[in-house]
Amino acid sequence: MLSVEGLEVWFDVPGGELHAVQGVAFDLFPGERMGLVGESGCGKTTTILALMGLLPPSASVAGRVLLDGEDVLAKGEDSVSPHRWRDVAMVFQGAMNAFNPVKTVGSQIVEPMELHGVASGRAARNQAAELLEMVGISGSRADRYPHEFSGGMRQRAAIAMALACSPKVLLADEPTTALDVMVQAQILELLVRLTDDLGLAMILVTHDLPVVAQVCGRAAVMYAGKVAESGPIETLFHDPRHPYTRMLFQATPDLHGDDEVASIPGAPPRLDREVLGCPFHPRCDSAFSRCPVEEPRLREVGDNHTAACHLNDVPMQVAQ
Amino acid sequence: MDYIVKRTAFAIVTVFVAITLNFVLFRLLPGNAVSGLRCQHCTKQFRESIVKQYGLDKPKLQQYVIYVERLAHGDLGTSIADNRPVWDDIRTPLVNTLPMIVVGTVISIIIGIISGVVAAWRRGTAADSANLWTALAFYAMPTQWIALLVIFYIAIPLGLPASGIESNTLGILSTPSTWAVFSDRVSHLFLPALTLGVGLYGEYSLVVRSSMLETLGEDYVLTARAKGMRNWTIVWKHALRNAMLPLVTLIALSLGSIVAGAIVVEDVFSYPGIGLATIDAISKRDYPVLQGIFLILTMSVIVANYIADLVYFKLDPRVTE
Repeated sequence: MLSVEGLEVWFDVPGGELHAVQGVAFDLFPGERMGLVGESGCGKTTTILALMGLLPPSASVAGRVLLDGEDVLAKGEDSVSPHRWRDVAMVFQGAMNAFNPVKTVGSQIVEPMELHGVASGRAARNQAAELLEMVGISGSRADRYPHEFSGGMRQRAAIAMALACSPKVLLADEPTTALDVMVQAQILELLVRLTDDLGLAMILVTHDLPVVAQVCGRAAVMYAGKVAESGPIETLFHDPRHPYTRMLFQATPDLHGDDEVASIPGAPPRLDREVLGCPFHPRCDSAFSRCPVEEPRLREVGDNHTAACHLNDVPMQVAQ
Repeated sequence: MDYIVKRTAFAIVTVFVAITLNFVLFRLLPGNAVSGLRCQHCTKQFRESIVKQYGLDKPKLQQYVIYVERLAHGDLGTSIADNRPVWDDIRTPLVNTLPMIVVGTVISIIIGIISGVVAAWRRGTAADSANLWTALAFYAMPTQWIALLVIFYIAIPLGLPASGIESNTLGILSTPSTWAVFSDRVSHLFLPALTLGVGLYGEYSLVVRSSMLETLGEDYVLTARAKGMRNWTIVWKHALRNAMLPLVTLIALSLGSIVAGAIVVEDVFSYPGIGLATIDAISKRDYPVLQGIFLILTMSVIVANYIADLVYFKLDPRVTE
């Protein structure tokens, strides 16, 4: 339904360009929940914003974003803005601040409905109240201002706002990062329930692997602006075919295990200059001679499972 | 409601402080009703009778009580220069000045907001830096000099009146229609108001630009874009009101300088308003009139600040105390 092909994003930065997203491609099917995982600065958020043409003017974008076969970025603002919120809605990282402090929460939920002609006037206000009820907030609170809501409530309200135009896809960018653990769990539960009930597809962007494992069926692991590995979450966990994925899982604390939590030494490469070979090789524990010189291509390694690592080409060499 | 009560109480206290300062200030000034040129050749008896007449022989505290008492009855005292009640002397200038100041302030706010918003939206472009330098230049220019520029480059080429408040020729041959009188007044008011506005807008423009930039970086602006709203709709519906908040405070704070600017502007344009009346009263050492003018000006600044507080309350729902 949502299909991304060869997405590239460059940012103009002083003294050159920063190649933030480098040929990202994935498909999202109706009703599916997909995770987009990676550490800070690997291009997750940029990818999400690029899908709906929301990057700042300093960014240039190439590639195609197909929504039910239509290339939404083809004609710039004119072709993408009718789809915003109507088909693809978002819940942002700082959803605490997703609401304008000087307008009531209800009016901001109504806003996209009226903008896209979904509903207006009394009908829209009633619908906004129903949406709030749906995320567990009393509908009478629609007339309240954002500062009268707690953090968790604001995030729920932000989700209600995302559902205002009954979109097909929900892009959730670190929706739980700023919240405490209890509230995080409630918000994730809410997202799972709503996407199930409404048949909504969701892309969940996070650096938190356990969250993805809990919520999503499939995930793409991003590193340095590229997809390093993608596949069903079970497969990624039990049979990672990229050292980065494996090391990410090892870096996750285990409540019941006694294992040391491993961290991955080093930092991702700078993207404002050409990266030679595999971007992960300086931090990789299994790098070999090919890695610094040749860039691995993303290739099929199993059912719905792709990875970009030379190890998958030459299992024999590594074994030696 | 709590907020409004607090603000009102605060305004009332400020009024009393202003009245007291106004009293003290004029008792500290050198000279009095009988000193200097005014009474160079008076006899001793005459001086004493004048001093008695104005109650200047009484103890200061008693003078203060009398002053406050009279104020409470709406009595601002009597002019020394023409023996008329002060209020009669300053009412007409006040009525002349008020629309001029209002139009001037509105001009400055409109230019300030528009240029500030455009500069923020086109940040880093030539339009932005052009606006920055123009705003800084006008902010730095002395108001009387702006007035001269306005006379030279606008009044003369366009043939607009640059002095007085009405045409001498109006009504000589026939009784003018209300419309003729009105448009004559407006044409006389326009240039002083424009000068005042141009002198003030620079500061507003810079503040609007920076608060607009801050607002445009907020998450709710990104959310508004994600909702499919067009750029100018976002500026209009989401950013502007938030960006206005610092401006409201600034306008309230700069009311004093607006009045100061009005005095200079009226002097250049010979506009018979409160500014000219002030200058006139100073040259005549007419302390009661000056005291009256000061009181009225302080009161209007206090009232304007009070209104600004209420506007702020209306604009920002987070303000509750």
